[in-house]
Amino acid sequence: MNDFLVLIIEDNFWLGEHYVRLIEQAGWKAVLCDNALDGIDRLDDLSVDVVVMDIFLAGPNGIALLHEMQSHADLNLIPVILVTNAADRLDLGNLSPYGVREVLDKVKMVPEDLVAAIQRVA
Amino acid sequence: MDYDGGSGQAARYGRDLDLSMVASHELKEPLALIRQLALESRGNLTDVELTERLLTQIELTAERGLRLTTDLTRAESLEGFIAEPINPVQICEDVAHELTPLFKAHNLAIEVPLRRRKMTAVGNRTLLKQVLINLADNALHYASADTPVRLSSVSKESGKLIRISVRDYGPSVPANTLQRLESESPSLFLPTRPQSSGLGLYIARRFAEAMHGRLGLHRHHDGVTFYIELPVSTQLTLL
Repeated sequence: MNDFLVLIIEDNFWLGEHYVRLIEQAGWKAVLCDNALDGIDRLDDLSVDVVVMDIFLAGPNGIALLHEMQSHADLNLIPVILVTNAADRLDLGNLSPYGVREVLDKVKMVPEDLVAAIQRVA
Repeated sequence: MDYDGGSGQAARYGRDLDLSMVASHELKEPLALIRQLALESRGNLTDVELTERLLTQIELTAERGLRLTTDLTRAESLEGFIAEPINPVQICEDVAHELTPLFKAHNLAIEVPLRRRKMTAVGNRTLLKQVLINLADNALHYASADTPVRLSSVSKESGKLIRISVRDYGPSVPANTLQRLESESPSLFLPTRPQSSGLGLYIARRFAEAMHGRLGLHRHHDGVTFYIELPVSTQLTLL
């Protein structure tokens, strides 16, 4: 899994950097961007294995990105992990048609949870 | 006291409920970040450089959260603030100085252009400083590394008003942002730029109104200018 690539879309830069460190410590590669439009560009350019993203983003939000991903035959196969502080208000059942495989709660998660979630969906 | 049929109370209760929901949402973000960074720090104590960086980020994030809670308390009890002649350039410089560590930690810069002509506004030093801190904090998350966030002041309406602005060069905001800024509902401040403090903008507007000023914004193709306008002081002062 040396070329395993995780795309992180998180507009809190320090939190995004934190995810990058966790993913790199797990032996994977990570690319960080801070908005949905850059995220789509990266998805076009790179061979991404998993997307880790927040739902509240500057400009088009995470839902817009999920819709965009679903409209492309290649992108809609990429598993998505939502990491959000609104996890208590999101229902995975409603989100799974959009490729969301896991929802992590920023308020409760520990660093190991992110790596474990990536392993589960990969 | 006039009886308003309970509608005033209901509106007030609705606004308070709205405000508490927005405040709770906004305070979750820095607290969740502090917790994540602290957990990471605990697992990497042997890496002194990383631990040092994480501690700085924790400290600055905690300070931001504390500023927000302090302002929130102040915004709900605004009586007793004294209007006085103030030098907005000096306050801009104080704000830039105070926020420089936070901007540096994000590899960004904040600056106040030199201005020769002195202007004096009527306002409150503490409230204006907090307004500018909230506006600059809002700009922080959308500034680019190439272009500093800029605090400046100009006279408007033939010298009757002073406009003190915070300009950033990030993504613009939706067209209805000005309407949201003028709304009584704190929750309408949220969706403009999610990482920024909608609550901070709400507080800034309350402080601006307490000084008989006005909060406004200009959308640019390459960013946003948020500003506060205050009346010019006609008194001669030693400021």
